[in-house]
Amino acid sequence: MIYLLLIYAFIIIINVPGLIKRKEWRELTAFSILYAIAFALSLMYVLDIPVPSPMKGLKHLIVDILGIEYPQG
Amino acid sequence: MSIERGKINSQQLLFLIAGFVQGSILLIDFTVGITEHQTWMVILAGLAISAPVILSYVALAKRFPGMNLVQINDMVYGRFLGKAVSMYYIFFFVMTLSFNIRDVGELYVTFLMQDTPFIFFLVVFAATCAYAVTKGIEVLGRVSHLFVVTGLFVIISTFILLIDQMDFSNFLPLFELPFIRIFQGIHIVSIIPFGETVAFLMIMGRLNKTEHAVKRTFFGLSIGALSLLVVAVRNTAVLGRTQTIWTSPSFQSIRLINIGTVLTRMDFLIGIAQTVLIFFKCSLFLYVLVVAVSQLFGLKSYLPLVLPLAGIEVIVAATVFQSPVDHAMITQNAGIIYSVPLVFIFPPLSLLIAKIRGLPKFERGKET
Amino acid sequence: MIKKITSSIMIFILCFFMLFALTGCLGAREINDLEIVIGMGVDKDEDTGNILLTAQVVKKDTAGRTSGDASGGGDGKAFWNVSSTGDSIFDAVRQVTHKTGNRLFISHNQAVIFGNDIAQEGLQEYIDFFLRAHEMRPTALILVAEDRASDILDAKPETEKFPAMNIAKLVDTYGFTSHFYEVNMKDFASCLMSPTTAPLVPLVSIVQEKDCMDIYVSGMVAFKKGKMIGKLNHDEVRGLLWVLGKVKSGVLIVPSPDEQGKAVLEIVRVKSKVTPEIKDGSIVMHIKIKEESSLSEQTTAENLATDKAFEKIQEATAEVIRQEIMAAIDKSRELNADIFGFGEMLHKKYSSKWKTLKDNWDEIYPTIELDIDVETKIIKTDLLKKPVSQSEEEK
Repeated sequence: MIYLLLIYAFIIIINVPGLIKRKEWRELTAFSILYAIAFALSLMYVLDIPVPSPMKGLKHLIVDILGIEYPQG
Repeated sequence: MSIERGKINSQQLLFLIAGFVQGSILLIDFTVGITEHQTWMVILAGLAISAPVILSYVALAKRFPGMNLVQINDMVYGRFLGKAVSMYYIFFFVMTLSFNIRDVGELYVTFLMQDTPFIFFLVVFAATCAYAVTKGIEVLGRVSHLFVVTGLFVIISTFILLIDQMDFSNFLPLFELPFIRIFQGIHIVSIIPFGETVAFLMIMGRLNKTEHAVKRTFFGLSIGALSLLVVAVRNTAVLGRTQTIWTSPSFQSIRLINIGTVLTRMDFLIGIAQTVLIFFKCSLFLYVLVVAVSQLFGLKSYLPLVLPLAGIEVIVAATVFQSPVDHAMITQNAGIIYSVPLVFIFPPLSLLIAKIRGLPKFERGKET
Repeated sequence: MIKKITSSIMIFILCFFMLFALTGCLGAREINDLEIVIGMGVDKDEDTGNILLTAQVVKKDTAGRTSGDASGGGDGKAFWNVSSTGDSIFDAVRQVTHKTGNRLFISHNQAVIFGNDIAQEGLQEYIDFFLRAHEMRPTALILVAEDRASDILDAKPETEKFPAMNIAKLVDTYGFTSHFYEVNMKDFASCLMSPTTAPLVPLVSIVQEKDCMDIYVSGMVAFKKGKMIGKLNHDEVRGLLWVLGKVKSGVLIVPSPDEQGKAVLEIVRVKSKVTPEIKDGSIVMHIKIKEESSLSEQTTAENLATDKAFEKIQEATAEVIRQEIMAAIDKSRELNADIFGFGEMLHKKYSSKWKTLKDNWDEIYPTIELDIDVETKIIKTDLLKKPVSQSEEEK
């Protein structure tokens, strides 16, 4: 838990001041979006909330719905 | 606009590609469950099938000098469709990178350090890759020689050390397995080690001279394929029928090295080689992902996005599969199917469309 | 400036925390905490029917001293055979901690010995742990005990400190007699995976001579579908090894041409080739053996180093080899076990026909014909040109 906060604080410290100083707003927005996603996912992971796995959805789509699969075994 | 200021020459491209393909050595171990003693054939067939496609990537890069994949997509398919295609690619990069990072974690947790929690490996590994990426492609290009040579050294030396335990009759009978399995094997091999080089479409824009690109790419590809082949041959010759039951045949065959009671317990060799090579592959992939996303957002530099994307990757890698079994099952079935359009269809299609439309057309005064 | 300091501090703290995670500290096991196992034995517990696992553990204090000084109190044994029972092998392994307090460290395990009762019941159930455990190395040897594995592990050898290392050495040096051969975990697993081949494992027994118990390898046992079915003695095993080309060295005794004594030959090199052939619906195995030996001892006074004598000896040798091979073949027919791996050889050559053959292999195997061709050569006579004898010319 504490690792999580440390790491994410660290990320902010490295990146944000430089961006603000150079007035790179576009970069800052992109950074913030991705940072928020990353932080949310990490928080879910640490708090044991199940993180949805895209591959499960994809597998369901391809195998069950489209029916494309190699024979097993 | 150039997101990245570094340049690489075509010789570095050769080593980049070779190291990239070598990073997939342990992935070959997964296909052994499907193709058993015919894995070597499948590798050669995969190379034959992917080579023309990969050369089309180089042709595309030559046609659009200095531009990376996202820019090319924008030009070829128009702004909206192009961005959609680029998002498909980005999804592919995100997923594949997470599989590779997870692979490293699995390697360590299964064989080397069993008690350390999985996520620590992922975090540290991703952090190291992120650091490498911030240094830029030029640095990665310069160190690629080192990694490729290390990989080749380990592969060749383990092969030589195991020669006395090899039984080449394990390759017979030659055509035993049903064709559907061979087909699946070829499908896997052409997508996973070879097809993932589609990521290089983001990197080839940084070549300073594109004259020898085709030759060098092909040569790099061959070195990578040769490494895979040597590993497959070594495992089949040494382990024979038992190849299919081990979780990692490469690991077990190296454990059998037993020369003069001095050269034993060489497992660490494969641990080192594998870690180093996958690190290289993941750094390249992360670089490609970050540049693609930055390009999509239209940013001036890709640096700020490195860490958040690495963070996302870590969590995805930690949660995407439940166990190595899951990982193998899904990648060998669904995983390779959604990758097919990206690897085999879009780049040659882009090339065709570009030829028909006479692209690229450069306006006066627009810099690449 | 302040930013630089704060970011360096953050980096430092991060690295510091990472140190804990990465050095594998969580998985570290100090040498004091290890129970180094060098041999394991699996038996059936008489009372409960569970598995009795015996692990030979190195005693850290006494193992360091040389075997010369027996001082230091105690019985001077450098090892300790700890046993435990459990429902499965992994269960028994963990139960050992009831007695030792530390987990067993089986990376250095030299040999796994299965007791007679377990072997007869079938090894399929018990072999999985030894292949799957990540500490186990596939180079560990596998053996079967004549009676109980725990007895074998108890027998204290004279020149080695540990019975398990002694056994491993015994099996390793099979080449000197070629009366058995070494089988490690990987080989055994490979044979088990084949639908037709019958795996073989060396058999270890104890010989009681006066007070001390000696371990020796008395032959090999054959398995079929994981169950022990029969025993092969030294000559039969060597017959098998002739066919497989695994004979490294050994002793062949033939009567000397003048019928007055024996000529003893040391096998120097053996090359064998087996070619399967399916002819008119029946299977023929062409076995071709080329052997080179040296004359190492003779008990007669006649000079055997002549062409004529050589020829006779070579023929006699070829005859002995043929007999050993036939002994092996007869035994395998008696047990109806394909110990030679003929099935797999057919598989490699005639893969399409193999699919139909392998289901009826039990009926087909006894009908296999053999065509044995042995060629022998004597290539040297060691240091004597002529034997010690009274020469007729000198008077």
